[in-house]
Amino acid sequence: MMGQPRLCDDMVLQELVAEVERGATDELERADRLIAEYPEDARLHFLRGSMLVGIGRSIEALPALRKAVELAPDFAIARFQLGFFLLTSGDAAEALSVWGPLALLPEGHYLRLFVGGLTHLIRDEFGDAILVLDAGIAANDENAPLNRDMELIIDKVKMLTPSDSNSAVEPDVSATSLLLGQLSSKRTTH
Amino acid sequence: MNRMFRRGMDLLVRSERVEALLWVRLRFDQHSDAREPLFNRYAGFARSVARRLGYPSREANFKDAEQWAYEGLLQAIDSFDPLRRVPFAAFAKPRIAGSVRDGIARNTEVDAQRSQQRRLERERLQSLKERNEADDPGDAIQLLGRIAAGLAVGLMLEGTRLIASDDEPDPAPSPYDSLAWRQTQMRLGAAIANLNASEVIVIRQHYEHGLTFAQVATLMGLTRGRISQLHRAALTKLKKQLAREY
Repeated sequence: MMGQPRLCDDMVLQELVAEVERGATDELERADRLIAEYPEDARLHFLRGSMLVGIGRSIEALPALRKAVELAPDFAIARFQLGFFLLTSGDAAEALSVWGPLALLPEGHYLRLFVGGLTHLIRDEFGDAILVLDAGIAANDENAPLNRDMELIIDKVKMLTPSDSNSAVEPDVSATSLLLGQLSSKRTTH
Repeated sequence: MNRMFRRGMDLLVRSERVEALLWVRLRFDQHSDAREPLFNRYAGFARSVARRLGYPSREANFKDAEQWAYEGLLQAIDSFDPLRRVPFAAFAKPRIAGSVRDGIARNTEVDAQRSQQRRLERERLQSLKERNEADDPGDAIQLLGRIAAGLAVGLMLEGTRLIASDDEPDPAPSPYDSLAWRQTQMRLGAAIANLNASEVIVIRQHYEHGLTFAQVATLMGLTRGRISQLHRAALTKLKKQLAREY
C-alpha cells in the first residue's frame, strides 16, 4: 500500500518563496536540497521550475514543471504554467493538451479564462483574445503578478498594426511571478 | 514583403525556449525528430564557420567545406550536453571548424567539389534504380525512363531553396532563370506540400543542404536504406504530380 507523500513544511516553503522574492541568489540550491528531502512535493518542483525559468535555464525548467504536474495533476497553476511554457516554446498543440484538464475548473475561473484568451490568440482571434483575457484579469483577485503578465500580452496584441512589420515581440512575462503570487496566497492546488 | 498581420503565436514564442524544448525532446524524451529542427537552426551557423576559415577560396570547392561543416554540426548535436549550460554555438564552433580542417586534410583541392557532387549523384542514382515491386523486372526501358525523370526532378530541386525550412529566408528566383523553368519550379514547390513529413525532410536536407543519405539517416535516426527508399518515393510522387499537370 502506498503511503501519503512526505511534503515540505508550509512555513519552510513560504520562507523559501519570500527569499526568492527578495532576490536571494542561493535559493535554487536550497530548493534542490528540499527536493532531495521531499522528492514527491510538487510545490518544490514547481518552485524550482519557476526559478529556473526566471534565470533563463529553460532546458532544466521544463522537466521540473513537468514533474510538478505529474506529481499533482490537479495543481492548477503548475498546469497553467507548464502549458504557458510550452506555448512560448512554440508548441501550441502540446500546450493545449496540457491545459485540457483546466477546462474542468469552474466557469469564470481566471485560469480557465486565461487559457481561453490565449487559445483565441493562438488562432489569431485578437479581439476575442483581449476580451477573454480581460475577463480573466477581472476574475483574478488572488494572483496579481499573473494579471500583470496577461496585461502585458494584451498590450502587445493592441499594438498590432498592419504597418508594424518588425520581428516577433516577446512579452516580458515573468514565469516566476506566477508561482510567487500563487504560493504567497497559499492556493497552490485547486 | 511586410506581413499584414503578425500571428498571435509570434507574440508569444521566445526563440530560446523553442530551442530549449528541442533539446529536452532530443535528450530527455529521446525524440530523434527534434534533431532535424536543431540542425536547421544551426546549418547557417555551420556554413558561416566554414566560410570564416577562408577555405576554400573558390566557389567550386565550397560544397565540400559545407559538407564537412555539417558533419561537424551533426556530431556536435549528438555529443552536446545541454545541462552543462554552455551555449550550443560555443560548443559546436570548434567541432565544426575541426571537421572542416580534417576534411581539407583528407581531400585535394582539385577533386574536392567534384567528389562531393559525384557522391550525391551516385546516391540519387542508386536510390532511383531500386525497383518497385510492380515493375516488370525485364523492362529496362521503363527503368531508364524512371531514372531519367527522377534525376530531372532532382536537378530542379537542387539548390533552388524550394524546400527551405521556416528558419531560412524566402527563395528568391535568380534573374537568369527562364520563365518556364521558374514556373516548373513553382509547381514543384507546390507538389512538395503533398509529400509526407519524412519525405520532405529527406528532400530538404539532401537537395538544399546537400547532405548525404548517411548524414540524413543520422539526422532522422533511420537507416541509410530507409532514407534511400524515402528519397525514391518522394521523387516518384513529385514526378507523377508534375506529369499530371502537363
